[in-house]
Amino acid sequence: MTEQELADKLKKYRLSRGEYGMMQKLLGRDPQGVEWALFSALWSEHCSYKSSRVHLKKFAFRSSRVLQSMGENAGVIDLGHGEKVAFKMESHNHPSFIEPYQGAATGVGGILRDIFTMGARPIALANYLCFGRPQAERMSAIVDGVVAGISGYGNCVGVPTVTGQTEFHESYDKNVLVNALAVGLFTESDPIVTSNARGVGNLVVYVGAKTGRDGVHGASMASEAFGEDSASKRPTVQIGDPFYEKLLIESCLEVMKENLVVAIQDMGAAGITSSSFEMAAKGGVGLRLHLDQVPLRDSSVGPEEILLSESQERMLLVCEPKKLEAIQEVFHRWGLDASVLGEVIKGPEIELFWKKDLICKIDPKLLTDHAPMYERPYEPWVPKRKRDALETTALKLEELLSSAEGCSRRWIYQQYDQRVGAKTVRDCDDSIAIQRLPSGRGLGLVLGCRPSLMRVDAQLGGYDAAFYPSLELAAKGFQPLALTDCLNFGNPEKPEIMGEFVAAVEALADASKLMNAPVISGNVSFYNETLNRNITSTPATGVVGLRDSIEGIPRSQFVNDGDEIVLWRLPAVKFTSDQFGREAAFSGALDPEMTSRWLMEVFQMGLSKHVSASRVVGKFGLGYALYRMCGEELGAKVATGAWAEAPGDFYQERLYEVLLSGPAGLLEEVTPRAGRTGSEAWKIGTVTKGVLSLGSDTKDLKGLHELYRSGWRKHFPGLS
Amino acid sequence: MSKPVGIVRFLGTNCDRDVWEAVENLDLTPQWLWHADTFTPDDYSAFVVPGGFSYGDYLRCGALAAKSPVMQSLKEAAEKGLPVLGICNGFQVLCEAQLLPGALVRNEGRKFVDKWVELKLENSNAWSNLERGAKIRLPVAHGEGRFYVEPAELTRMKERGQIWWTYASENPNGSVENIAGVSNIQKNVCALMPHPERAMHEWMGGDDGRAIMGALLRA
Repeated sequence: MTEQELADKLKKYRLSRGEYGMMQKLLGRDPQGVEWALFSALWSEHCSYKSSRVHLKKFAFRSSRVLQSMGENAGVIDLGHGEKVAFKMESHNHPSFIEPYQGAATGVGGILRDIFTMGARPIALANYLCFGRPQAERMSAIVDGVVAGISGYGNCVGVPTVTGQTEFHESYDKNVLVNALAVGLFTESDPIVTSNARGVGNLVVYVGAKTGRDGVHGASMASEAFGEDSASKRPTVQIGDPFYEKLLIESCLEVMKENLVVAIQDMGAAGITSSSFEMAAKGGVGLRLHLDQVPLRDSSVGPEEILLSESQERMLLVCEPKKLEAIQEVFHRWGLDASVLGEVIKGPEIELFWKKDLICKIDPKLLTDHAPMYERPYEPWVPKRKRDALETTALKLEELLSSAEGCSRRWIYQQYDQRVGAKTVRDCDDSIAIQRLPSGRGLGLVLGCRPSLMRVDAQLGGYDAAFYPSLELAAKGFQPLALTDCLNFGNPEKPEIMGEFVAAVEALADASKLMNAPVISGNVSFYNETLNRNITSTPATGVVGLRDSIEGIPRSQFVNDGDEIVLWRLPAVKFTSDQFGREAAFSGALDPEMTSRWLMEVFQMGLSKHVSASRVVGKFGLGYALYRMCGEELGAKVATGAWAEAPGDFYQERLYEVLLSGPAGLLEEVTPRAGRTGSEAWKIGTVTKGVLSLGSDTKDLKGLHELYRSGWRKHFPGLS
Repeated sequence: MSKPVGIVRFLGTNCDRDVWEAVENLDLTPQWLWHADTFTPDDYSAFVVPGGFSYGDYLRCGALAAKSPVMQSLKEAAEKGLPVLGICNGFQVLCEAQLLPGALVRNEGRKFVDKWVELKLENSNAWSNLERGAKIRLPVAHGEGRFYVEPAELTRMKERGQIWWTYASENPNGSVENIAGVSNIQKNVCALMPHPERAMHEWMGGDDGRAIMGALLRA
């Protein structure tokens, strides 16, 4: 190989020179033939987590509820009563920017497969979306396509989308974030199925859609920054078929429930390569695979493309030969094919055949366990606090409500089927999603991460990504049990980005430990960088919580005229924002230990029958949160006082505040809890009909609703 | 013991299990009717064609399902006067199978829509014994729920009392004359776009769905 040929090869397979050296050393020779494709796929950032593995070990903390965590397709926690849930969050950022509809749709499909691969029936979907400014190039079409893709896939496959978060900021103008989360339920009789191949002589079976050229090199594409030519990468985006996925869900769950399979793995990033190599490496066995037996969409697809294809809705399973017939019967009944590709052989090597020729024989561990692991240099975290206070806070509630950042998201979630499955107790209208478990208990789900905080302080933002959604659960009487995360960052080769990554990961890990709610699954998406511009570091999270009963859960909007409104504040950090981009100044420091103790007190209040409605004060501060608690008729009269001395104080954000409303006597119930935790509580007003008064400023509720509801139309005139 | 309630299951049907639970909730016995099989109508007390999607709604909503073997038996059941309920996609299937008049086309807003709506009972039939004009609240979730029928046929439907439910306040899909549900001439085959099985308990946001699903108890 000449120098030029080598350079071309490395470019084509997106491998570095150092990695080429590692390959030579591991193999004892130059890589040959399809080996290039294998290394390219499995050593991509997307598959190998080579820049993040060192730091992800910091999520090692586990609680007694954890049954499965990192290393499997999704984490699983035990809920007691014979019920368990699997959940995970994953990014599909790059494909969604290139081809919004299919990118988002296949993101949903992929995360669902991670869940049902384990034997859990998917019961809920959620999505965390970060878009650029509405007026940015293509943005309106991207928003339209992403939402339609999620809706088109999730609705058809029959899993309700129950909650979400949508952010807008210029740092996402050229690199949007589309993170999908799925939750699956195991009932008492459902086994947890893992992906480690076992049993020499067992068969390797391919199930699902046929293999085409779509998504070839998708994993390595997702591991690269974007340049000017992102549109030319469109052919690397996969095409989804939710109907096929639905058939796969039903048939796979059936074969697992009947104990017909030894191991099963979905073909996600890097397709059949990653699924087969990971199954073999985990099981410590070898595999003999006949690639010419892979069902093809087009007979001209060759072995290398088969290995790299990311065609959707495909699964690989291992079964005992005597169970093959029963497996095929199930899949045929569901209109699917199950083809035998090969068998499990004595380890450690995988043998790949193409029409009787052995084209590759390699130890899968070279590609999985021996993948590069980088300790990327990073700048130690220092808070980027430039100012302690801003000159003015000229924000007005009316402007907030009609801003892209603050207006109603109904246009988005109205396109999602939020009730299929007949378990939805609270839908996207609410501050938390609640699904009713078969035992009658409630499973709560909230997403987190506020990019506005990440922009000023990655450590604080990391803590908040764990604490804020957990507080929302607690305020409804749900105990946070576990977290999943989707760590969206820019280029890890830049020390300042890596510094934010490390700070956020350490903060998330610390918060989860303090709350006894471990991080049990997740995904890292690096290289969210276009033309040298990095996105806001965005460690999105999903937190799952449990409540023993679905009776008497506090509402998110006021319930009774005349109820008293209590503000309960942990006086730690105070923000002052000067614009919708919310480049904030702030003062004070967060005490994570104190925050987690306070959270448990909030949880106890969330269970109190005295609380008729609750809400955590979040973006834009108290005034905005009070508006969000107003119903069609019921508003609030809130006075100024120690909690807000000047009108501008209603628009300061603090870590943390919770609003509670309920019949007279509520404050007396909160006060002792406040005393125990160094927090403060005040009765700040009462629920009233028709208006929202903040101090002397009284606003007509109807007018506010109009602004809040028409805001979307104002920013996306082409979409409504 | 009363006869079971047959629930039709096509490839890709996704509200099948929800209807199953709703039927069990009424202390009745549900039984699957698989798309590829035929059945004996008299073995069942009533039938539900559930919603969601069937065959991915490829070609046209309900078009592929309408041609499956199970529909042959369902047509026999309908002719015998047994009660048949179509929900959402089931409504589309029954129209495609010509057990009901009209068709369901893309929502006026072009987008899928999930929300709670208010319905008004126009004519009672086998599937509802409320007073005419009664109002209930149910959730809708569909992309192609806009009922359309030729004007002459619409006039005949009105004369025969085939309009079952109309949207009482907001029409989520732009259907002709706000129609949300219709019946056949004999009034044993009825279908609606909203999902009664998603409104069986207060915790679901309301239990008005019982006003429809409860008819199974009388079947």
